[in-house]
Amino acid sequence: MLADIVSHLAFGLSIAVTPTSLLFLLLGAFVGMIVGLFPGFGPAAGIAVLIPMTLGLDPTTAIIMLAGIYYGSMYGGTITSILINTPGESATVASTLDGYPLARKGRAGPALVMQAIASFIGGTIGVILISALAPLLADFAASFGPSEYFLIITLGLLLLTAMMGDDKLKGIISALIGFAIGTVGVDVMSGMQRFTFGSPELIGGVYFVAVAIGLFGIGELLYCMYTGQHRKSAVKIKVSFLSGDFWPSRKDYHDCRFTFLRGSTIGFVAGVLPGSGATLGSIIGYSVEKRVAKDPENFGKGEMRGLVAPETANNAASAGAMVPLLSLGIPGSGATAVLLGAFMMWGLQPGPLLIVNDPGFVWGLVASMYLGNIILVAMSIFAIPLFVKFLDIPYIHVVPVIVLLCVIGAFTIHASIIETWLLFFAGMLGFAMKLYGYSPAATVLALVLGSMAEETFLQSLIISNGTFDLFYERPISAVLSCILLAVIMLPLAIRLARAALRRTLETPAGRGK
Amino acid sequence: MKKWFSLALVAAAIAYTAYGLGTLRLLDMSGRPGAGYFPLIVGILLIVATAVNAVRDFHASRAGPRAPERTGMAAATRLPGRADIGPPPDDRRYGLDVLVMLGLLFLFIVSLTILGGLLSMMAFMLTFLCVFNRGKIATNVVYSLTLPLFLYWLFRITLNASLPIGVFGF
Repeated sequence: MLADIVSHLAFGLSIAVTPTSLLFLLLGAFVGMIVGLFPGFGPAAGIAVLIPMTLGLDPTTAIIMLAGIYYGSMYGGTITSILINTPGESATVASTLDGYPLARKGRAGPALVMQAIASFIGGTIGVILISALAPLLADFAASFGPSEYFLIITLGLLLLTAMMGDDKLKGIISALIGFAIGTVGVDVMSGMQRFTFGSPELIGGVYFVAVAIGLFGIGELLYCMYTGQHRKSAVKIKVSFLSGDFWPSRKDYHDCRFTFLRGSTIGFVAGVLPGSGATLGSIIGYSVEKRVAKDPENFGKGEMRGLVAPETANNAASAGAMVPLLSLGIPGSGATAVLLGAFMMWGLQPGPLLIVNDPGFVWGLVASMYLGNIILVAMSIFAIPLFVKFLDIPYIHVVPVIVLLCVIGAFTIHASIIETWLLFFAGMLGFAMKLYGYSPAATVLALVLGSMAEETFLQSLIISNGTFDLFYERPISAVLSCILLAVIMLPLAIRLARAALRRTLETPAGRGK
Repeated sequence: MKKWFSLALVAAAIAYTAYGLGTLRLLDMSGRPGAGYFPLIVGILLIVATAVNAVRDFHASRAGPRAPERTGMAAATRLPGRADIGPPPDDRRYGLDVLVMLGLLFLFIVSLTILGGLLSMMAFMLTFLCVFNRGKIATNVVYSLTLPLFLYWLFRITLNASLPIGVFGF
């Protein structure tokens, strides 16, 4: 097992360690850090907006750069969480809980260094676990038929909607909207045109990049304007790694030695599960750390373990989310859905055979994540003063730049003004979805997976002569169907049981007991 | 507005399903699922889900304003005993700014095919900054000239990507 991991990583390094790949990895990590700094502009939007810029590159280099943006944003998002109590993106929300109190106690420097080290450890453990798990899962998935694929896609989307708290229905609607948009274009089974309204530009379907840029980029931007982000003045902060109190103490490292491992493991597992991702991973990481601590009362008041736990978790989760993406071709979050779309754009066929057919790409990408983590930890410590300088830029100057990148990016993919208009409408939809509690991530995920879901669903029906037998006759399908039913029925059953219990307690007989 | 958005989604779901039913075949010649089979399932689920959602939103709006409900990612990121994430809350909302932004974005896309990529980027940037960053004319003009020029150089010259061409030929 260990020898396999080492040989896979060595093979990957032989591909990733080229001047071009390293240059674009550095560029991706740098852009990712900046993307993470600005509230409302998460990794999904960053990747979607920058896809057009990678069109001239070869697929491996392009994906290495986009993946650099993906995990770079996890590092960058924490800087604002610690310094100004404003998470750059949702996965770093939990880092504000102890990160900001640490900064207020005059320990901003040690907090920034520890978050960088925690991110590095989380990311590195995640990459090692990918190397071990992805081939195993791909081997296992090689026996999957269409019914298993359809059930996994449905399960992933349901788990994503389960993150919607009390409003799962809005999550389901968001996913169905994605499926509906995905049905536009030529039907792969019959070759018939659907919902094209006679437009030749729609025969190929609604292109996901324009929709993703619109939903994540323009939609988020409009929401930030709605909440007045553009009216706030820039924050001027000075941090220098030359000052004596910048570095963490020996006690900080000693206190966090087990936190690194706990956070990484929790984060990785959360990342592998479709739909949960880095946000949930970081929150669970924080909650578990607080629960196992002997001094939980210190959490929320500037406790280093309270910062390290979510930071290791969110970076390990970002790596974990690559496992279903690389081995099954099924993304678990908005950002990995955009990455999957980019894979397809370069003609790669995500799924269990990707590792067999394109080992250079897969292991090159995994090795680049390892290198990316090394670059990012160095960048996060020694270039912190530079990144803090970016916070001096007023948001009002950032807004038009993002708009220009979104509009020009949407146009350049196919030189299509229709796709640019699509971006406009997707932007309005994304804003409304964000405003009223829907999930743009579920929409993009369903849009990217829509054709695969339809194809596998119809294939299952055809194989079983129009019945649903295939969904419970095959052992793996039966297990997945049971899990799916449990995900749907369990919350309902719990609610009914609670209501029945409440009624029993409210009756005179119940009160008398 | 929330309930009207929910209602618009119901209307869109009905339109999608009706159009699909009217134009697509559910089964092909051999009796197997056709091009309209999956869209019909999606359409029916959408109608049911959006209708239930709209009823809930109308009920909620009738019940009167409540404490703001945390939905979506906010709900997922709820943590026990801690509600003060982020800077001090600013309850002001800037709907008019969003409308102005949408108007500018609309004009920007319209102008792409008339003025071309470079000029429309400059025009958009200048108008945006003049509206939202008033009183700093020199800064706004410098930004509006340099950033679009940089993007034009990056996309058109370095990456050789297609940019919209206007009446001036660039």
